[in-house]
Amino acid sequence: MTGTEEKKGRTTTAGETPSAPIRLRPARDSDVGALVPLLLRLKRLNEEFDPLLKVREDAEAQARQILKADIANPKAVVLAAEGSGADRDKLVGFVRAQVRERPFYAPEQEGVILDIYLLPIYRRRGVGEFVLGEVANALKAKGAGVVTAEFPAQNEIAARFYSKRGFRPITAVQARSL
Amino acid sequence: MAKSSPSPVDAEPVARRKGRKAVSAAERSEDKTDLLGERSVELSRFYAGKIETVPKVPVRSLGDFALWYTPGVAAVSRAIQADPDRSFDLTGRWNTIAIITDGSRVLGLGDIGPTAALPVMEGKALLFKVLGGVDAIPVPIRVRSPEEFISTVEAVAPAFGGINLEDIASPKCFGILEELSKRLSIPVWHDDQLGTAAATVAGLLNALALTHRSVEEIRTVLLGAGAANLVTARLLLKLGHPAESLTVVDQKGVLHAEREDMDELELHNPWKFRIALATDGGGRTGDLTAAVEGADVLLAASTPNPDTVRPLHVRSMAKNPIVFALANPVPEIWPEVAKAAGAAIVATGRSDFPNQVNNSLIFPAVFRGVLDARARSIPDEVVLAAAKELARGAARKGLTASHLLPTMEESEVFPEIAAAVGDMAVLLGIARRKLSHEEFLERAKTLMGRPAELVRALARAHLTPPMPPTNHRRRKSPT
Repeated sequence: MTGTEEKKGRTTTAGETPSAPIRLRPARDSDVGALVPLLLRLKRLNEEFDPLLKVREDAEAQARQILKADIANPKAVVLAAEGSGADRDKLVGFVRAQVRERPFYAPEQEGVILDIYLLPIYRRRGVGEFVLGEVANALKAKGAGVVTAEFPAQNEIAARFYSKRGFRPITAVQARSL
Repeated sequence: MAKSSPSPVDAEPVARRKGRKAVSAAERSEDKTDLLGERSVELSRFYAGKIETVPKVPVRSLGDFALWYTPGVAAVSRAIQADPDRSFDLTGRWNTIAIITDGSRVLGLGDIGPTAALPVMEGKALLFKVLGGVDAIPVPIRVRSPEEFISTVEAVAPAFGGINLEDIASPKCFGILEELSKRLSIPVWHDDQLGTAAATVAGLLNALALTHRSVEEIRTVLLGAGAANLVTARLLLKLGHPAESLTVVDQKGVLHAEREDMDELELHNPWKFRIALATDGGGRTGDLTAAVEGADVLLAASTPNPDTVRPLHVRSMAKNPIVFALANPVPEIWPEVAKAAGAAIVATGRSDFPNQVNNSLIFPAVFRGVLDARARSIPDEVVLAAAKELARGAARKGLTASHLLPTMEESEVFPEIAAAVGDMAVLLGIARRKLSHEEFLERAKTLMGRPAELVRALARAHLTPPMPPTNHRRRKSPT
């Protein structure tokens, strides 16, 4: 890292607990460019948990395509988080989820949270909980009767986040190399 | 990291040291370390260890054992069973601490394991006794995980009035200290975090006083984000340093809230993550060069390499820059180089330059204070009280650019620090025993003075043999 770029006067937010430091809205096609780096940060973090979660060379192109597709997909929810203060015009997080059919179980429609990411400074202030509530409402509006979340088994921070909010493990996915 | 013995044997005449060049200073320092190492092995063989236990009660005849041991002692046990705090009155617990290490980061040697760490822990125990009047027991432990470390310390805690954690790798040292401080009702200390940070803050406070600045108005760069600097950052924020002008820099550049490795840090080093969020790079991104421009203060506690901080960095700082280069044995920039580049005040971790930031200035007195107050913990307020008193100690003798901190010889400051620590423990309501300032001070003077008398008495009585001359390997050892 080099350069003497001075950040644009953002005051520190440590210690404050603003009631709504972000605004959530449905993502648009024009957001994709700003959302790709956030999605990639999340996937790169997943590399920490398991070598079978190694990020592909073409992950950036994939991210672009998947976000575009899900923004257009009526059975998917992509919400973009706008920051506050100096971050007003910046996307500081997002959530992506899909409604899937459950052929054998009731409720028949499952809302799966696939990606949820917030820039670190927007964490630990109830923002995650707010995002979770919003995406759950959006999934419910699309017919989901149950909400699930997918994340690496070793991600204890995610596990704690969901279990504190009433989630419990229902399906396990195990893997080995071939 | 700043860490050194209080007064190493000076193997090099002062006259030879004058007018050296940076490179020769480094070489000479290595030669000196080799010489000291050889001698240290020789003496360790001769004395076969550095500390021993000594009875503190009269033993007139074997009959006295009925008092000191069974059957008499049973009544003492019953009293403690009824009220465990009485262990501080009826046993040596009030003055006994454990020096506990897993040997995972010993000096500059790295992960050498618990057994090889023992001579270092014995040395620390010697410092605790001689400087602080504290009975310290070396307890290197063979453990694998932080959880096992924590439960082991918890298991041995009943014997001790305090715990000194030593030479544990970062970042696991943070979690171990945090968790043990929560679980135990005796003070827990980790010198590499708290001792070095307190000495650094003390030196900085005086450097600011000398250059007429206050902590509320300065821009500070911390180079290195290990055990010492992360705590220094935390203490500076507590002292009122604005987060907006505090920048932490590590190998990856300025630590800020949107750095690429933040998610990984939240997972593996939440302490660094927290400082990143709190400071957010002090409004900067980029590398050290970008961070240090216009800064008043540079506190480096990173890697021993004299080219880590370069003259151009110092030249780009604000007027009268303050530079602490605390890596040992070789500072991040040689003091004469920093001065030539315009540094107004320079401190290092070494005893052969002025302004040694030395944790031995802190830990014996802190333990004297918390033990005398029978404190339940060591919160940051206590650490800051010690740092401020250390700073005052130097100021009383007159501050100059080369007398920022007391030297180890200015020992009159240590009881003052102990008393300040005791006072703060009382103020915070964590003292089991509430003494007045004068009582803390008198007690500290007495207890800190006693070991020197003991050492002299043992030597006079020929119970401690005099130092053998160098290289007399076949000389008979006392054991």
